[in-house]
Amino acid sequence: MSLNYEDMSWSDVRDQFRKWREENGRHSEDVVQLWVAVLEDKLHKTGNERHLILEQVIIAALDTARFDIAAQCTKQLSIEFPGSLRVMKFKAMRYEALEQYEDAEEVLNAIIAKDETNAAPRKRKIAILKACGNRLEAIKELNEYLKKFMSDQEAWHELCSLYLAEAEYGKAAFCMEEVLLHNPHSHLIHQRLAEIRYTMGGVENIETARTYYSQALKLNPQNLRALYGLYLSCSFLANSRAVSSKRKESQKLAQWALEQVSAHTVKLSPIEHNDKLIATLDNAFGSLDIKAN
Amino acid sequence: MCEYKISERAYTKLIFHAAKYPHQAVNGLLLADKNSKGSLVEIVDAIPLFHQCLHVTPMAEIALMQIDAYAEREGLVIGGYYAAPENFYDNQLDKAPAAKIADKIQENYKNACFTLIDNKLVTLEHNRPAIQVYGCSNDFGRWSKAKFTLTHSSQTLEGVSLLLKRGAMRDVIDFDNHLDNPENDWTNDFLNKSLNDLQKLY
Repeated sequence: MSLNYEDMSWSDVRDQFRKWREENGRHSEDVVQLWVAVLEDKLHKTGNERHLILEQVIIAALDTARFDIAAQCTKQLSIEFPGSLRVMKFKAMRYEALEQYEDAEEVLNAIIAKDETNAAPRKRKIAILKACGNRLEAIKELNEYLKKFMSDQEAWHELCSLYLAEAEYGKAAFCMEEVLLHNPHSHLIHQRLAEIRYTMGGVENIETARTYYSQALKLNPQNLRALYGLYLSCSFLANSRAVSSKRKESQKLAQWALEQVSAHTVKLSPIEHNDKLIATLDNAFGSLDIKAN
Repeated sequence: MCEYKISERAYTKLIFHAAKYPHQAVNGLLLADKNSKGSLVEIVDAIPLFHQCLHVTPMAEIALMQIDAYAEREGLVIGGYYAAPENFYDNQLDKAPAAKIADKIQENYKNACFTLIDNKLVTLEHNRPAIQVYGCSNDFGRWSKAKFTLTHSSQTLEGVSLLLKRGAMRDVIDFDNHLDNPENDWTNDFLNKSLNDLQKLY
């Protein structure tokens, strides 16, 4: 997305920032540029929202190594909220961005000592382990964290990614199931679970994958990954040693999924003859049928 | 052991891909000239694959099949794999994500290369190629460092740096983007121009 900085008034920028916060999008470069170009001088107009905006800008500034901006915004917050633990966390994050991890941990430990129920500094400590490339230690600490803060779905999601990187698919699937319990209507989580099950392989897992993919499609019929995934898992099952009626059913479903993919893609894709590229899937996976029959 | 010649087009796309997602690991495929003879393999093009989750296989299977067909059509062959690790300091091959894909490609194309993007060298003024290239020395199927050249090395690096400064990397499309919305073209046709022409666009 390209933004035309000159034409944006301070209220446009405020709305844009708000939108990004709601979507959980970082857009760090844009945030910093808009802050410098427009909002910095108009901050007093934003009322109580200014604290949220300052926090957003601090994180964006740390992302883009604009330590001057980060320090200035943190200062503004700490003048208004002296001794605030929430502001202290940004000081720790500044150390993190400067890769002064020991100093960062010192600050974080101080926050935890003052407020044991504070989740954020504990998560930052795990982030430090990850930044140091210490993935196994991060997994261990995150497990400890989740014993105390079980309903933190972001943490379950992160643990899932860490397990995937270690190729611990069973454990990753467990974490994703936890996330699913929090969002039973998210097609993306169904899809990710299906992907993990498919990767694990074997008839049983792929049957599970097919179920999750189907549910994902029920929730969002446009989900291309789920359509492709359904195709793959059904083609696999059509060639498995299942009863022949089940195999036929799988084959039909695979055909249907591929037709849907093709229809969705060809309508929009600028790639020349994209349908032919998709058709090659059928030649590769479909040709297995001959052996199976 | 082969030597590799990496085209400016392939280099631009893979560096853009890594720069578009600086906080995530990315991977992709390298397409080689089918008629590469002897011990020189020409890497002509790159197809960016994923940035969301590199450790699950279904969409990789789908992408590989389609890209194989695309390469065939263009007179090319899937001749390599590239990856950029998530952690800034990881620049060893064993830290590369989804390295299995590279092994599989090598089974089908024995002169395949494995290119690792060295995050530290991707800068706005980069004066040497920000990649390490590995090849498979016969039989054992083990990756070891290989010689490579980048076409028009100094102009390419200068051109890529300039485009990075202007934010051109935001427009590169990977297979994940395509799956999000099929309007996105993973062949990145708009980048199939000389770097000089590209600079006029930005």
